[in-house]
Amino acid sequence: MEYVIFFASAFVAIICALLVISQKNPVASVIYLIMAFVAQAILYIQLSALFVAILQIVVYAGAIMVLFLFVIMLLNLRRDDFGPEKHPLQSWLTRIFGIVLVAELMIMISRGVGQSESMDRAGAEFGNVEQVATTLFTKYVFPFELTSILLIVAIIGAVVLGKRRAEEEEG
Amino acid sequence: MNLRFDIMIPELFLFGWAIVVLTADLFFIKEKKNALLYMSQFGFLAAAALVIFTPTGPNEVGFGYMFYNDTFASFFKIVILLAGFMAVSSSFEAVQKSIEHKGEFFGLVIMSAVGMMFLVSSTELVSLYVALELSTIPLFILTAFQKRYLKSSEAGLKYLILGALSSALLLYGMSFMYGMTGTTVLLAGSITMLLNSANVHYGLVLSLVLVVAGLGFKLALVPFHMWAPDVYEGAPTPITSYLSVASKAAGLAALTRIVYGFYTVGTAAEYWGILIAILAALAMIIGNFAALLQSNIKRMLAYSSIAQAGYILVGFVAASQLGLSGISIYIFAYLFANMGAFAIVVAVDHKLNSDRIEDYAGMARRSPLIAVCMTIFLLSLAGIPPTAGFIAKYKVFMAAIENGTLFWLVMIAVATTVVSIFYYARVIKEMFITEREVESSESKWILSSPITIAILVGLIGTLIIGIYPEPFLELASTVTQSFVY
Repeated sequence: MEYVIFFASAFVAIICALLVISQKNPVASVIYLIMAFVAQAILYIQLSALFVAILQIVVYAGAIMVLFLFVIMLLNLRRDDFGPEKHPLQSWLTRIFGIVLVAELMIMISRGVGQSESMDRAGAEFGNVEQVATTLFTKYVFPFELTSILLIVAIIGAVVLGKRRAEEEEG
Repeated sequence: MNLRFDIMIPELFLFGWAIVVLTADLFFIKEKKNALLYMSQFGFLAAAALVIFTPTGPNEVGFGYMFYNDTFASFFKIVILLAGFMAVSSSFEAVQKSIEHKGEFFGLVIMSAVGMMFLVSSTELVSLYVALELSTIPLFILTAFQKRYLKSSEAGLKYLILGALSSALLLYGMSFMYGMTGTTVLLAGSITMLLNSANVHYGLVLSLVLVVAGLGFKLALVPFHMWAPDVYEGAPTPITSYLSVASKAAGLAALTRIVYGFYTVGTAAEYWGILIAILAALAMIIGNFAALLQSNIKRMLAYSSIAQAGYILVGFVAASQLGLSGISIYIFAYLFANMGAFAIVVAVDHKLNSDRIEDYAGMARRSPLIAVCMTIFLLSLAGIPPTAGFIAKYKVFMAAIENGTLFWLVMIAVATTVVSIFYYARVIKEMFITEREVESSESKWILSSPITIAILVGLIGTLIIGIYPEPFLELASTVTQSFVY
């Protein structure tokens, strides 16, 4: 049963990810991306990383992708807004190199990373909310606090780049 | 868990100061906004003084190996703060002319410096990554700061997208590092326990390639350099100078922490030696030859900085005490020369509204002092005695020769240095030899005092290291003590 769920969700994740990049319509891309995220969330649950799975659905599939969808709909892009078509040679080369890269990654991961001894070290309580909270506020409190500075920077940036010019406001 | 706030006082101070600058912006009327520049200058200098007085050494570790204040970190912090000081100083004219949100401009430069300071002190993957983002995200914003100037927005967007891509590569590599060792702490030896199982090499190579590619984007190494010329051209010039020096120094420090700490140097030849050597060779060849073709001085300096990163990596591959101290002195020399050259580019841009190399014609007649300063900076970048660049290149090449296996790389480095002289000399030729009709209305240029300070600091640094390098070499040799070879 475990294998069935794993292969089904992995298959859905890969197919949806491929559809994200092959769709011409950005709205369809976003919807496939949401599906890929949900399939990934199921994989996380199987790895007993429940908290990550919930975050994946609530934050990524929920909040961020809905925002994406709204922005894309607001922009209302047409085909010719994407600029000229790529040279066919270029797009073929991209595909070939992409396939080579995926093959390389698969060989390296299956022969190397899969063999490492520390891979199955995670304990039973790994990934529940309590565990995540404890590590976040004890062991990783320093990077956690750094992210707060990062958020200030992001807010300033959004305000500066999004704000209208003074003259525009008057006029 | 050891909450060592005492060893991060410079960072905490500078972060507080960024908030002070941001808030002070609200209290100054439009004509008095120059005060913000002086405040930022003070912030950088005060933080540099604090760095000097903060204890360094093997015991200054905080937050469970996440923050490590060794001599290596404090050296890079000084470089970053000096670069920030000179960038802010040279931004006087640019800020008056085309920057609207002045408080945010200076605040973000300071915030970025805070991120870089945390970055060079990080000895742990999670904090290293967050610090890296903290240092680059302000730079995306600053690059796009001139909203009326289309090239600036384009540059900001390009930088953002490629920055996000490179972060993804870096994180992917880091996740393999964590997966294989079960630890995120970058201390020599976390890898040695892995070497027993034979198949693990594949995983190591995979994580190494991904991490080097991710950091390669940040350092603008060939073949990850495509964004650099466009971003350097589009960004406000003081930010370009800051990008080319501070962010390069911080990225290099991160690369050193990861490669020297995780892929320990004993196994260098096997894992990363050849990879980084090839990247260095490519950066030197492509950077220098592409710089020959440029007609815009900012683009030329962008390619030149790609090539300079290649020379720095030559010392990095040597993986020895000599190599690392060579890198340190190189970064110091590069800091003064590059920041100085960019300060002059800002001045010329302000007076002539042009970044084209042809427009430097006749500069020696109009303002001989500026022309002489520019010449010294360019000669230092090319590595001609008696400037700092010569000492730096000499040290780096010597380190690579002593390594024994890197003779081919040094040959490429020397050959491309000769190429580099051509394009640096072209600017000098324009300034001194090319005749130009000088309109009678053009008087001698008078530069504002902050930009003069930036040029002077660059000039003094370049000449002192070039003529009397001993104290700096001594300083550089202490930088290496926290790494094992």
